[in-house]
Amino acid sequence: MSNTQPWTHLYRPRRRADFVGNEQAVEELEKWVRSWRKKPPKKLAVFLYGPPGIGKTSVAQVLAKEHNFELVEINASDTRNKGNIEETLGKSVKQNVTLFGQKRMILVDEMDGLSGQQDRGGVSAVSKIIDETTSPMILVANTIEENMEARFRSLLRKVKSIEFKPVDSASMIKRLEYIANDQGVDVHPDVLMDLAMKSRGDLRSATMDLETICRGRKQVTPDDLTVIDQRDRLDYTPNILNKIFTSRSLLEARKTINQSMISYDDLFEWIYENIPIVLDDPYERLHALMILAKADIYQRRAKSSNYRLLKYMFDLMTGGIAFSRKNSKGEGYKEQLNAAILGVGFTPSMISTIDVPEGIMVKPNSWLGKEKWAKLNTSLRGIGASWIYGKNVWLLPYYREPQAKWRFIRTYHSRRRMKSVTKQLAAKTHTSSARVRNEILPLLSHMIKNNETMYDEVSTWMLAPPDKKLDYLRYMSIKKRPRDFANLENYAKHKQREMTKMIDEKKKEKESDHANIERWLDDQKKNAVWKKR
Amino acid sequence: MSSGMWSEKYRPNTLDQIVNQRDIIDRLKNFVQEKNIPHLLLVGPAGVGKTTSILALARDLYGPSYKNFILELNASDERGINVIRDKVKNFARTAAIASPVSFKILIMDEADHLTSDAQHALRRTMEIYTKTARFCLIGNYSENIIDPIQSRCSIFRYSSLDEKDIKERLSYITDQEKLDIVDEGLEALYQASGGDLRKATNLLQAAAANGAVIDDVSVYSLLGSVRPDKIRDMIQLALDGKFLDSREALRELLIDQGLAPEDIIRITYREIMRHSTLTEQMKVKLSDTLGEIDYRLTQGSRPEIQLSTLLGHLSLVGEEKR
Repeated sequence: MSNTQPWTHLYRPRRRADFVGNEQAVEELEKWVRSWRKKPPKKLAVFLYGPPGIGKTSVAQVLAKEHNFELVEINASDTRNKGNIEETLGKSVKQNVTLFGQKRMILVDEMDGLSGQQDRGGVSAVSKIIDETTSPMILVANTIEENMEARFRSLLRKVKSIEFKPVDSASMIKRLEYIANDQGVDVHPDVLMDLAMKSRGDLRSATMDLETICRGRKQVTPDDLTVIDQRDRLDYTPNILNKIFTSRSLLEARKTINQSMISYDDLFEWIYENIPIVLDDPYERLHALMILAKADIYQRRAKSSNYRLLKYMFDLMTGGIAFSRKNSKGEGYKEQLNAAILGVGFTPSMISTIDVPEGIMVKPNSWLGKEKWAKLNTSLRGIGASWIYGKNVWLLPYYREPQAKWRFIRTYHSRRRMKSVTKQLAAKTHTSSARVRNEILPLLSHMIKNNETMYDEVSTWMLAPPDKKLDYLRYMSIKKRPRDFANLENYAKHKQREMTKMIDEKKKEKESDHANIERWLDDQKKNAVWKKR
Repeated sequence: MSSGMWSEKYRPNTLDQIVNQRDIIDRLKNFVQEKNIPHLLLVGPAGVGKTTSILALARDLYGPSYKNFILELNASDERGINVIRDKVKNFARTAAIASPVSFKILIMDEADHLTSDAQHALRRTMEIYTKTARFCLIGNYSENIIDPIQSRCSIFRYSSLDEKDIKERLSYITDQEKLDIVDEGLEALYQASGGDLRKATNLLQAAAANGAVIDDVSVYSLLGSVRPDKIRDMIQLALDGKFLDSREALRELLIDQGLAPEDIIRITYREIMRHSTLTEQMKVKLSDTLGEIDYRLTQGSRPEIQLSTLLGHLSLVGEEKR
């Protein structure tokens, strides 16, 4: 063995027996690989996910070797757009046997990095290949991204998912001890313990730290531990926000920028979203908002002149926010919750709440009935709560996800419709879109509300296909009606029904008043006809 | 009822049909007779006939196919420098073909919304393409147009319309459309329009939509129903200390309705200055805040975070007031 190789490489598992932790997951994976010997199993691909450094890629490589597959691998170092993936994997998919009669296995590593402009169409290309493959496919991803599920939803339906968990500390200490012994270094058990704890189940980083601390030594005592600082662990965003809003030191708050698993741009949006919820004192809230607005200015300056200016942005958006908080209790979410409950006509006594680490669970005390439930659901979702299936409660997180993004997505179609209508109207009336939006659209929608023929007239005037271009107006004028009608036709029918009902009632009234006379008159007429004949 | 907006249906087609702004119209008619016009700058309040007169001039000058020889741009929609560099230049550089005169007319409406960069780009463009194009800039205030452009244009200042003019025109339309209108209704329309004939015409059409007699009650109830003023709501929510609700209102304006942040600032400024319960000191303080935000927006900051500092200030002001 050459000593120049890093230990992480040197002690990478090479046999099935080398694996540390995750026995069940490895077992399950091996069973699936073995099943390929006879015929392809139901699920043609497996999806391995879990935190970094616990051997997901290694297990795929080792199992391929032990079960005699040739491994075709693509990872984030390759460009993985649609064309590229099809080119690299397409061949292997169709011919599952190499020239020498060896079967192939496909490994798509670092799936979570499959994104962005460069890898356009990557996920769908992989998804397509799963449908066609005649070789076993292993997909590997880190679960650091919170929105991973959304991105891979279509893909996840087709695959068998196997979760890999952080390596437990006992197994890890055993492994680290083995490595230390193998290298002939005497490492104090407390040090091993410490390394294992610090790594939080990431065996690769623990091995790396062990190497750093052992370099050039024959003996390592707890005093040598200061050499390595705790590596910046990526942390979930709510935890990061908690650090920012509760921190009492600039250094601690500032560190969150590196610990955050989302970009600082996204973190900025999270902070902005939660300032008014955490800081309920109006003065502190304003202070924090102004600090954040200043941070935004620094970012613009950094972008236009020099990126070294970014550090000021980071200081302001972390430490600046932390120190804005003095008296605020940070219980804005409770006020929100009460307002949301009261707003739809419930009293707090009808609802029970339980505090849990990530937020507050909300549960109605008794079954509300479908309609009331839906009302409460809409209201709670409006403040960032989500319904948890299975547990049948709402969870309102202490820190809310940025809502502007959802609003953008939610209103995409209506905005597009509105834009197209305003643009046409602006050209037609020789004014600006802004004036159309502020002056003309409200009037038009009023006109359509009061005179339904106006809709067709306006769309003819604008030379628009009536079913399409003016949808927005139609939508606007109908939305304000007491009931939400799907479209004008339904509304017209509804009106007609109302009218006939009214007329019928009027008739009945009349009948009761003049019943006898009319009946008599009718009879007379009939009799007259009869007589004539 | 006929199709379309009455403000378009009753827009005068020729210079002769324009009843008011006599002096200006006479001079514009001279231009048509001489078959030559200078660069024009038309300024004045909204709805007094600026765009109408230039469109009528074009029609008188070029005949029915006048649309081939003009380009209408609205600077409030396209206020950047790129529109000058692309659209304006492309239009201006080619000569008018099969036209009675050698030039085309570029109409830049709401030109006072052009950024100063765009105006400086425009100034060169105006000189270079004088042979093939005339520029007609239209705006509310000449202060917002840079001096070099003003000096290249002959400036026409439109005065606001008299009560008599507006009422006469409205009566003419009600006759044509055979509407039932009482004098109180006419008066209410005039008051609501604020001297803006287009607005008055649009309001008249909306008020006539349900076919009933138009009186002051129907006009005011119309105004009430079409003006659920989101910006005013937002300000009030913030003043009441309901910060989160006011931020949602801000998001609705910015995202759902796609209002430009500059427009939100402009209207907010107007509302605050008009606000009856804010003290003068508060107004000055808020003006400072708005000015800072307005400037920051021109520097490309995130609109929502900058505007929400305003809401923060408002809720603090509301707190002090209580």
